Amino acid sequence: MSVLKVAGGRVIDPANGVDGVRDLWIADGRVIEPPADPGAKADRTIDARGDVVMPGGVDVHCHIAGPKVNAARALRPEDRRGAEAVRRSAAMRSGTVGSVPTTFATGAKYAGLGYTTAVDAAVPPLGARHAHHELNDTPMIDKAFLVLMGNNHFVMDRVRLGERDRLRGFVAWLLGATRGFGVKVVNPGGIERWKEGHGNVAALDDIVEGFGVSPRQILVELARAVDELGLPHPVHVHGPNLGLPGNAATTLELMRALDGHRAHLAHIQFHSYGGEPGDLKRFDSQAPALADYINNHPNLTVDVGQVLFGETTSMTADGPVGQYLHAVTGRKWLSHDVELETGCGVVPITYEDTNFVHALQWAIGLEWFLRVEDPWRIALSTDHPNGGSFLAYPEIVALLMDRGHRDDTLKRLPRRVRARSGLADLEREYSLAEIAIITRAGPARMLGLGHKGHLGPGADGDVTIYTPDVDKRRMFALPRYVIKAGELIVDGGEVRTAPEGRTLHVAPDFDRGVLPGIRDWFSRSSSIQFANYPVRDDDLAHPAPVSVRGTAEASRTEP
Amino acid sequence: MSTPPDSPSHDPALAVVEDATCLACGCLCDDIALEVSGGRIVEARHACDRGRAWFLADRGPGDWPAATIDGRPAPREEALDRAAELLGRARAPIVLGLTQTTVEAQAAAVALADRLGAVIDPSHAADAAPRLSAIARVGRVSATLGEVRDRADLVVFWGVDPVTTHPRHWERYSVEPRGRFVPEGRAGRTILAAASEYTPTAARADRHLLVPADAQFEVLTALRALINKIELDPERVAAATGVAWDDLLEWAQRLTRARFGAFFFDANLGRARGGAATVEAALMLVRDQNASTRLVAMTLGGPGNPAGAESVLTWQAGYPVGVDYSAGYPRSLAGETAADRLARGEADVALIVADDPITALPQAARDHLLRIPTVLLAPDATATGRRSSVALATATSGIHTAGTVVRTDGVMLPLRPALTTEWPTDRELLRAIDERVRALQVGDRAPAPRPAEVPTS
Repeated sequence: MSVLKVAGGRVIDPANGVDGVRDLWIADGRVIEPPADPGAKADRTIDARGDVVMPGGVDVHCHIAGPKVNAARALRPEDRRGAEAVRRSAAMRSGTVGSVPTTFATGAKYAGLGYTTAVDAAVPPLGARHAHHELNDTPMIDKAFLVLMGNNHFVMDRVRLGERDRLRGFVAWLLGATRGFGVKVVNPGGIERWKEGHGNVAALDDIVEGFGVSPRQILVELARAVDELGLPHPVHVHGPNLGLPGNAATTLELMRALDGHRAHLAHIQFHSYGGEPGDLKRFDSQAPALADYINNHPNLTVDVGQVLFGETTSMTADGPVGQYLHAVTGRKWLSHDVELETGCGVVPITYEDTNFVHALQWAIGLEWFLRVEDPWRIALSTDHPNGGSFLAYPEIVALLMDRGHRDDTLKRLPRRVRARSGLADLEREYSLAEIAIITRAGPARMLGLGHKGHLGPGADGDVTIYTPDVDKRRMFALPRYVIKAGELIVDGGEVRTAPEGRTLHVAPDFDRGVLPGIRDWFSRSSSIQFANYPVRDDDLAHPAPVSVRGTAEASRTEP
Repeated sequence: MSTPPDSPSHDPALAVVEDATCLACGCLCDDIALEVSGGRIVEARHACDRGRAWFLADRGPGDWPAATIDGRPAPREEALDRAAELLGRARAPIVLGLTQTTVEAQAAAVALADRLGAVIDPSHAADAAPRLSAIARVGRVSATLGEVRDRADLVVFWGVDPVTTHPRHWERYSVEPRGRFVPEGRAGRTILAAASEYTPTAARADRHLLVPADAQFEVLTALRALINKIELDPERVAAATGVAWDDLLEWAQRLTRARFGAFFFDANLGRARGGAATVEAALMLVRDQNASTRLVAMTLGGPGNPAGAESVLTWQAGYPVGVDYSAGYPRSLAGETAADRLARGEADVALIVADDPITALPQAARDHLLRIPTVLLAPDATATGRRSSVALATATSGIHTAGTVVRTDGVMLPLRPALTTEWPTDRELLRAIDERVRALQVGDRAPAPRPAEVPTS
């Protein structure tokens, strides 16, 4: 049994109410109680005196693997040509970075930031096998993906017919068949409507032609199914009208529609705009009203989708959003519709600090962080790479911890931003403990991963050690050490070893009686055989099933 | 969860493998039922003639050896050592082939290229490059094949002849299936075929258009102007395109009036005059039509797994073909291919995986490949008459080997091997070479471990 001791650091472990100097003991990849014997020796000790010790970071919403991400890489060679690269070393495969890094580079860069878990938020079931192959090549972190269901034909047919049991059975079967982790709903019904040439939906009660259902019905029925199945992560929602002026009204209606259900609302910044569609004159921040709603409704959590200035790539299952961005920016557009399931849109985008809309988006994201009172209810995200790369997380931490840095940035933005956002008046500064919550403890709790995001006995031995620095950006950009499952993987920014990491997934029980109906429908409708649809065991290098209706994982497969 | 066999045989020795995927053409039909008897595939139900020939071909075991060194039979371990020695000591290694094997083997080949600091380029790169660079310039609006099946009321075959080259495309994906929004099947779709000659596909289409091969850019651009309602001079357009003005008008009208159209093209478009610009013209025509109705651009795809090679290279290196690892990280060859490197003599050892590029290469490249040491991994690598420094016989993907392949629309499919073999897979051999090269490199460098932890005192 290999024992590692992280000695004498300031341990910040909000989930266990810990903030103080103490030793941390890890054995066989897991945190253990410190030995009662004061003379107990570890096999290895890391001297963390003077350093800050946190659980490894957890990203609840990013786009790092699968057909859409790979299409974005192929679309944008210019994004990485001549840019920083990850060089081959004895420990690590090489890769390219840009806004959409290659798989090995993604693992190395996440780990380099002290993140040890990342969840891809949008994989079409038909792309699940591909996503797993990419995740197998994404080392140093544990990973999982959410499965797109909000425009699935079988789902919409069940909703129309009011067949809740069959819907629940299908959701459970599909999660198991894809080795997915949770249910994602993107622009429910709107993608299907757009794919068939009827244009996007605009309101929750619009009807999806050919299916006779509304976005509201799809959303609520999937939220119900997820709750009834007791999945660790609630339904994960990207609502209608992403990015459009005036969308806050739809967002508030969507929040209300979810009353009585658990839900996570993704990249909420992109859904918080006042004004009217097609009219920027009254475009403003509606974060105050929406954050107020979140503050008073504990069934909901959010991640922000912070925008940062610079060049990045937008990518979404929300096909019509891709077309909209292409029309607005005139830049190249990749769109790829996936039969029976979803769409996919990719467009390069440059967020400019001289552009009023982009600057206001930046301010609205920060407003969200500062207006949600309970840090456990809001997660740090850029919707990587949509608002910016995950590599910008240290900059966001600096903006949250340092009001002066925020004000300095705000000063160089178009003046109108201060009239349309209350950001300048927000004095709140995040503490280190609050940063630990929005970057690891909170996302782990939102995901229902009882073994992640904390350092109590039984937790995964995923630990990040930072050297305190007045420059918070520097502090969080370059952890001193990163430990994954009790193994030192990053040392002073250098990759020491690159363990392959595990793929977390669920396999909920379901009534096998639903299978013949699913199979009949699929065999009539798909371009592949039903037998060839489910992911197979050998598509996953290191599967790690997570138990349903529980807080801790059921089993664990060691690399 | 396999579908039951539709005509059970009475031969008790007969085993049936359902839902097998055929690699004979770009269709990658995954509904083949293979009947196996006496160590041979004796029937491939649902397969077309081309697929049947592929499945039923004699796969040995021949009497050729497991491995050869300089043409002489050698133990496999010795051949692997020799391969690692050649590749590990090379100054400018190059990795070729890759389109006729699994995603898993492709990934192992890229891993080895990364370790070697090699140039790696799949054998279809020259055909693929115009399409890939056009996509990188203007994007693409596309879909999986099931979308065409489900929705398309208009199907355009542009410069392709699927009736000849992709025999089941018509019945499985593009024309005959009854889809949710095309319940009439064939009767609910209009089929257009454009080509430089009258093809079997044109014969079965509702309309066909003879387009001179070297005027495709002009015709596509004229169509794009027409759907965008840009005024053109009919006489000048007819002169530039070689196509009658009324025909162009009719085609533009059909594109704009369709609810959902699918535009199928393939490598021959990029090989035509104009190269990537011609592919761009097609992609922009399709893209622009989406301002009012739906239209998607699709490729027919090539046999085997070329799409898998593009996919793996993209997720591991960031570029779909033509990657140079010599700097210690991936760089794009962009604008040239491995064939150009070979033609200039810029490679000193070649590793060829699964398919032999030799016939597809231009003469100068071929000449250089014959001058330098080569390591060949392929099902028939050790058959007589091959010129390789090291040759290792492998199992055949999809016949003996499981794993995954990628269809031209990005859908990843599992393989279901029907036969067993004594030969190892190319993936296993690549990993064995990789391990040996690693050992050589460690031996050369012997890096000192850098202590990070403070030992407990």
